[in-house]
Amino acid sequence: MQSNAALEYDYTVAKLFTYTTILFGILGMTVGVLIAAQLAFPELNYLLGEYGTFSRLRPIHTDTVIFGFMISGIWATYYYLSQRVLKVSMAESKFLMFIGKLHFWLYFVGALAAVISLLLGFSSSKEYAEFEWPIDIVIVLVWVLWGVSMFGLIGIRREKSLYISMWYFVATFLGVAMLYLFNNMAIPTYFASGGIGSIMNSVSVYSGTNDALVQWWYGHNAVAFVFTVPIIAMIYYFLPKESGQAIYSYKLSLLSFWGLMFVYLWAGSHHLIYSTVPDWMQTMGSIFSIILILPSWGSAINLLLTMKGEWNQLTENPIIKLLVLASTFYMLSTIEGPIQSIKSVNAIAHFTDWIPGHVHDGVLGWVGFMTFAGLLHMAPRMFKREIYSKKLIELQFWLQTTGIVLYFTSMWIAGITQGMMWRAVDEYGNLMYSFIDTVAALHPYWVIRTLAGVFFLVGVFIFAYNMIKTMTSSKELAQEPKNQSPMAA
Amino acid sequence: MFHWLEKNPFFFSVGVFVVIAFAGLVEILPNFAEASRPVVNLKPYTVLEMAGKNIYKNENCITCHSQLIRPFKSETDRYGQVSLSGEYVYDRPFLWGSRRIGPDLHRVGNYRTTDWHENHMMDPKSVVPQSIMPAYPYMFTKTADIDTAYAEALTVKKVFATPYDAPNGTKLGTLEEGRAAALEEAKAIAADMKNKDVKDAVARGEIPQMIALIAYLNRLK
Amino acid sequence: MNSLMVKALAFSATLMIATVVVVKYMNVDLSDPINYITILGAAAIAFLTFGVAAKYINQMKTDKSTGELANESWDGIGEYKNEMPAGWAYSFLGTIIWGVWYWFSGYPLNAFSQIGQYNEEVKAYNTKFEAAFANPDQATLTAMGESVFLVQCAPCHGETGDGISGKAHDLTNRMSKEQVLDVIAKGSNQLGYAMGAMPPMLAQGADAEAIAAYVAGGMQGAAPAAFATCTSCHGADGKGNNGAAPSIVGYDETLISNVLEHGKKGAIGAMPSFKTRLTPVQEKALATYIQTIKG
Ligand code: HEC
Ligand code: HEC
Ligand code: HEC
Ligand code: HEM
Ligand code: HEM
Ligand SMILES: [Ca+2]
Ligand SMILES: [Ca+2]
Ligand SMILES: [Cu+2]
Repeated sequence: MQSNAALEYDYTVAKLFTYTTILFGILGMTVGVLIAAQLAFPELNYLLGEYGTFSRLRPIHTDTVIFGFMISGIWATYYYLSQRVLKVSMAESKFLMFIGKLHFWLYFVGALAAVISLLLGFSSSKEYAEFEWPIDIVIVLVWVLWGVSMFGLIGIRREKSLYISMWYFVATFLGVAMLYLFNNMAIPTYFASGGIGSIMNSVSVYSGTNDALVQWWYGHNAVAFVFTVPIIAMIYYFLPKESGQAIYSYKLSLLSFWGLMFVYLWAGSHHLIYSTVPDWMQTMGSIFSIILILPSWGSAINLLLTMKGEWNQLTENPIIKLLVLASTFYMLSTIEGPIQSIKSVNAIAHFTDWIPGHVHDGVLGWVGFMTFAGLLHMAPRMFKREIYSKKLIELQFWLQTTGIVLYFTSMWIAGITQGMMWRAVDEYGNLMYSFIDTVAALHPYWVIRTLAGVFFLVGVFIFAYNMIKTMTSSKELAQEPKNQSPMAA
Repeated sequence: MFHWLEKNPFFFSVGVFVVIAFAGLVEILPNFAEASRPVVNLKPYTVLEMAGKNIYKNENCITCHSQLIRPFKSETDRYGQVSLSGEYVYDRPFLWGSRRIGPDLHRVGNYRTTDWHENHMMDPKSVVPQSIMPAYPYMFTKTADIDTAYAEALTVKKVFATPYDAPNGTKLGTLEEGRAAALEEAKAIAADMKNKDVKDAVARGEIPQMIALIAYLNRLK
Repeated sequence: MNSLMVKALAFSATLMIATVVVVKYMNVDLSDPINYITILGAAAIAFLTFGVAAKYINQMKTDKSTGELANESWDGIGEYKNEMPAGWAYSFLGTIIWGVWYWFSGYPLNAFSQIGQYNEEVKAYNTKFEAAFANPDQATLTAMGESVFLVQCAPCHGETGDGISGKAHDLTNRMSKEQVLDVIAKGSNQLGYAMGAMPPMLAQGADAEAIAAYVAGGMQGAAPAAFATCTSCHGADGKGNNGAAPSIVGYDETLISNVLEHGKKGAIGAMPSFKTRLTPVQEKALATYIQTIKG
């Protein structure tokens, strides 16, 4: 090993996950646009026979973006930045290299099998945990491999003290492991019945209200540990790195981290308000959700303050634009969620479009922007070429920002309107609207949402094109850029 | 202390785990015993209903339909009595859903009938012209998986002591008996239907998916 | 105020105004607490997010980064030892104190129960509407009936009540020939009339055909001879002998309330019972309304 080994980080695995981030991003969001369009134009349900109905495709959208796009994005950035903040190269350990590659390939095969199983109509109908038990087992194995890979690397690190990003990655690993295992506990009926029926079918070990509690303890915290915690890991690395600014406040980082860890897990029952879950538990969810605003905003504020005095960078570097807007959308979704957790507000919001509206503030504005920014920052360093086009990033940024604004404003209005229409009574005290009236009223908003999706998706294609060009044909770099990523006009 | 944790990944991980794990216990454990008690007269699903429930589950009808009537007058007027915890005891998984693109279905058996579902599932627009629900014509020809439903019933009977074959309960019996009972039940439903494929299939001793699904929907009361 | 802040607040205000305009257009009653709390909540989301974000983003223009750097650096990333922003810290403390108070004192003292809240809602509703419509006049009943019909019955009978080309009973007409033939052939025993059941096969062949055509045609012109079989129970005018048997020329209150009570299964299909799902006033309103839509 040379003495300057730390400078020769090995990005093999990071690159592999970068490819799947792009692949699953395109796949998942194309399906997203399709299901958005299906609500506005139901004839689109019949493009693929039984495989193309909204009900088959919606979980394919959610699971492809979560387990495909997002998890790939998390691992692409993890395999890139962990080496750097731990000051150790994967090339230094044959074992870790092997585990890393195995991690990727098992993941990739598992992810493809997962999508196909949903398409074929195998589903356990627990949101974001739809996969049947054989796929669950693969997912657990993949997760264990990540654990080995991460703790292995931590074990041979040179930088003694863990950087903030690593706090969040470790938490991601532990949180998802715990949640996924418990929520997916199920008994395959083929074996329990002594060989009768389909081998894929399983039955949840929890039933009814209990199953609901476990599901939303999982569902809420899956959001926490997939859409929040690892994304914070990314922004704490990429924002200071791209801008060259030091993190504004260690204390704020610290309090936000431990505050988030402590408070998040208690809030899951805000998905069960006015359900048959005991009143006190629902109230607990609401209270913790309100408290959760501050540890969430803490990280966002810390990062916005990191950029103090750097207006020039904001206007000139489109990657910084993506990062700053990501923080802003994070603030939006983490106050919208708590307000939707207030009982009276949830009475309207629950079951309506306002919830997908809230979801996509987070997943498009926060998760999406952060992931794109991260990969763009990584590309010149991994592929040793400058970014193919700055103009294309600008174009992507504006298209997608327009998309997000259209998405959340249309769903906001649609949801509040539908929630209130369901409750409305006429002068005689009868329900004012039949159910189908409340569906028909949403048509214009669903058209706008589809348009919003098209804007965002076109941005994704531009991003993919820009990345591929960067990998293959843009100008080569003699040495690694320090901060701002080099990009051709 | 925090600086120390940041230098000791093992204790750091333990710390994080403790902080995130115990909230889960408080949130989940206290209700477990309570919510497992069935309301009086609640019977386990028959094999045919179970097969229908599995279709509902595998097709992800929950992406559009909830099964949870909240305690608001507007909801009880529209859908019927407020949902109770004890009504869901045999639901594995629970099927409350989190989205209402279509109406709640927890008590749809009270206000829709076999022939209506038959028309509606074949072509929703034929009964509700503005409907955006997809049609499911293939369920009229595909055969329902009765054996898997039987296996599931047997599993919950063995593992969770779900009261099959109990006095006044749902009879399960052997696989042969289960298949035969499902066919009998299917015949009664087919008699209220008009679709020729379905009627012919039942006459041949096969059970199309649609019959199982309707058996399940009719049971939602 | 800086220009960024102005833009942020203007955006929030536009979104709120659009929301309120749309829900008002749908005739929603904004004085309902759940509705106005929701609107206030939505406003809080918009103004707080965009206001606070604008404040910090504006600092990128106006402020400079300062502070004492910690001596650690990860891959070149430094860290200031700055204090937390006071507003953030006090708000966090504030929500924690509020949470503890609410959890241990505010909430238990309230003795909140969602079923209790539901019962109160129903009671408030009853005071408001039931008294007001205890003795409705004809016009009110018709309008009220239509309003119930569109929500509860239209999914089967269609918005105009025409039965959606044969999928349910056509309420603009009394009965079709096939339906009458079906009853003649099978008899009927489900509606709960004082007289009980109607036996099957009271007429056959050409007689049955003639009767069915006459009944389905609204009993216009001369009755076929065979119709005499029916008059003993349904009366010569077909009106059902004052509620002993159903009227077969038109809809009346007894028929509607019997159908709603027992549901009905016939030549077309099955209709569910609406027992306990409608109030007596609503049933009466439906009967009145249905009599007005006949073809
Ligand atoms: C794209 C969304 C969507 C999907 C997927 C969907 N539905 Fe629906 N469903 C609706 C809508 C909208 C309505 C209301 C309009 C209508 O009656 O068609 C409805 C109505 C219904 C009704 C009538 C309920 C009532 O109160 O009138 C039933 C029963 C039903 N759906 C069952 C199902 C089943 C079973 C599945 C899955 C196999 C399913 N739906 C899938 C949207 C959907
Ligand atoms: C013995 C008395 C009796 C005789 C005779 C009789 N009906 Fe009826 N009819 C009834 C009763 C009672 C009912 C209601 C049965 C029920 O509750 O379902 C009824 C129901 C009907 C109905 C169904 C109405 C509806 O709304 O579904 C029709 C149509 C009808 N009768 C026509 C006839 C015709 C035509 C004849 C002559 C061939 C006839 N009835 C002879 C007693 C009689
Ligand atoms: C699930 C579908 C469904 C719903 C909901 C429904 N009906 Fe019906 N209804 C039917 C069908 C089907 C028939 C015809 C039965 C037959 O004769 O075969 C029918 C028949 C009737 C008849 C004629 C009965 C007779 O004896 O001639 C009346 C009156 C009626 N419905 C009123 C109503 C009213 C009022 C409502 C709403 C409160 C309502 N229906 C809701 C399906 C429905
Ligand atoms: C303070 C933080 C947050 C709180 C308190 C919160 C609260 C909520 C609430 C109350 C719901 C609606 C439940 C319902 O009525 O159905 C919800 C749904 C959801 N939120 Fe959040 N939210 C927060 C942050 C986020 C973020 C940052 C994201 C994503 C990036 C996110 C993603 C989701 C998703 C995916 C759902 C949908 C769950 C479902 O399928 O029903 N949330 N959240
Ligand atoms: C082109 C971009 C996208 C479009 C057009 C889109 C569209 C949609 C649509 C139409 C739904 C169903 C909403 C409904 O029930 O009415 C949905 C749900 C969802 N999407 Fe997307 N989506 C996009 C991108 C993403 C991304 C990038 C993610 C995550 C990283 C994501 C995560 C989700 C989740 C978690 C849900 C479920 C929400 C819930 O159950 O409440 N989406 N999306
Ligand atoms: Ca699973
Ligand atoms: Ca959902
Ligand atoms: Cu949540």
